[in-house]
Amino acid sequence: MDCARAKDLLGDSRAGRLDGATPAALEAHLAGCADCRRAAAVERALDAALAERLPRHRASADFERRLRDRLAAAGGTARPAAGPSPPSARAAARPGGGWRVFATPAASALGAAALVVLALRVAAPRAPAGAPNESAPGASLASSLASWDLVDEAVSDHLRVVASTHPPEIASGGIHQVKPWFTGRVDFAPRVAFAGDDDFPLVGGSLGYVRDHKAAVFQFRRRLHAITLLVFPAAGLPWPSGAAVSLGRHDVVERTARGFSVLLWRDADLGYALVSDVARPELEALVSKITPAL
Amino acid sequence: MTTPGASVDEILVHTGALYNHARYLTGGDVEAEDLVQETCLRAIASADSYRPGNCKAWLFRILRNAFIDTRRKRRPEQPLGELDVVEGGDGELLRDDFELERLRGVVAEDIQSALAALSEDARAIILLDLEGFTESEVAELMSCAAGTVKSRLSRARVLLRRRLREYAR
Repeated sequence: MDCARAKDLLGDSRAGRLDGATPAALEAHLAGCADCRRAAAVERALDAALAERLPRHRASADFERRLRDRLAAAGGTARPAAGPSPPSARAAARPGGGWRVFATPAASALGAAALVVLALRVAAPRAPAGAPNESAPGASLASSLASWDLVDEAVSDHLRVVASTHPPEIASGGIHQVKPWFTGRVDFAPRVAFAGDDDFPLVGGSLGYVRDHKAAVFQFRRRLHAITLLVFPAAGLPWPSGAAVSLGRHDVVERTARGFSVLLWRDADLGYALVSDVARPELEALVSKITPAL
Repeated sequence: MTTPGASVDEILVHTGALYNHARYLTGGDVEAEDLVQETCLRAIASADSYRPGNCKAWLFRILRNAFIDTRRKRRPEQPLGELDVVEGGDGELLRDDFELERLRGVVAEDIQSALAALSEDARAIILLDLEGFTESEVAELMSCAAGTVKSRLSRARVLLRRRLREYAR
């Protein structure tokens, strides 16, 4: 591989698009070429500068309220054109960038409406017998959609972590190494006291997004299963309502989406979402470790 | 039987990302709010162009078209971009380690200033890449061939680094 080819591949490399023998060939070239190694380092530094230091503008709450009213007045739903099949959504966010949010999950052959209906069905809270069912006709559609979005976004972030071929942005040398790594990368201090143990080892940490809020991502494992803990500012986020179970110090809302269990709770100003395909009792055990009873 | 597509709620999920993009494109809060509102209203009115499964990319394309329309009304004579006339590569930036050290030391204000100094097309493609869109999605958003996205993005990043060299001193 020559320098021109190597530099041409740097963009694909940072986007995670290289496959086959190409990544190894690129690495081999970089190992022996100081100029290309410098170019690669510069690309990574530019990615980091953009992802970590370019502010993300947020609309005012007043504008969001006015916009919601304006759109509601303009009229409900747009209908899709018949014919073209939906484009496949990305499998995962690309490495190296904080803004690289996981896109709207693949709708595959299902239309958006079918996806919403399905999501409403699986996202229905475990209500006690006789209690109103949120997914029943007449329930609050807006509330259900808001809940679905947060749950689905947590699953998407979990899938991004699982699908990544790269190691965690900070590999775990213990919770006292992972937590400080978030300083300056998120605008809050994630409160996670659990340092991992033999049952749930802490693998590492990375950055994620929950509805445009930067999130601290803690990666645990249970045997061969990945477990993702998202910690994020909860202010202003719609929160799933309905039945909750008491675990540790918190009331935890439990949902299922796309085959994954999602456990959500709040601690003061922070929201927590724990996502995995391990059995729910095991996830509940982890929640109790993360938020031990006082 | 008809299948409902992008509901108000689905559109509103993406208004945060739309607003951020609009704010960087227009440079002002009021202009960004106008652009996002126009985008959302067009989305509701544009049922025929909606394809389930990628609402975000669809909305960003509408936003870009709305931005171009607004821009042409205000400054019809000015081209959108400089991406096809970038001279030279990044060789002069890579002669030593100063470039790397500079990038590691830039602060938010430096990046914002450098980004704002770019052409609208260069700024847009960097932001779309940062937003996580794929090359094919960016190609559709910017109405260009998929094969040109990589080179345009590469040139835009070189331009950004040149601007950063000017701002981050």
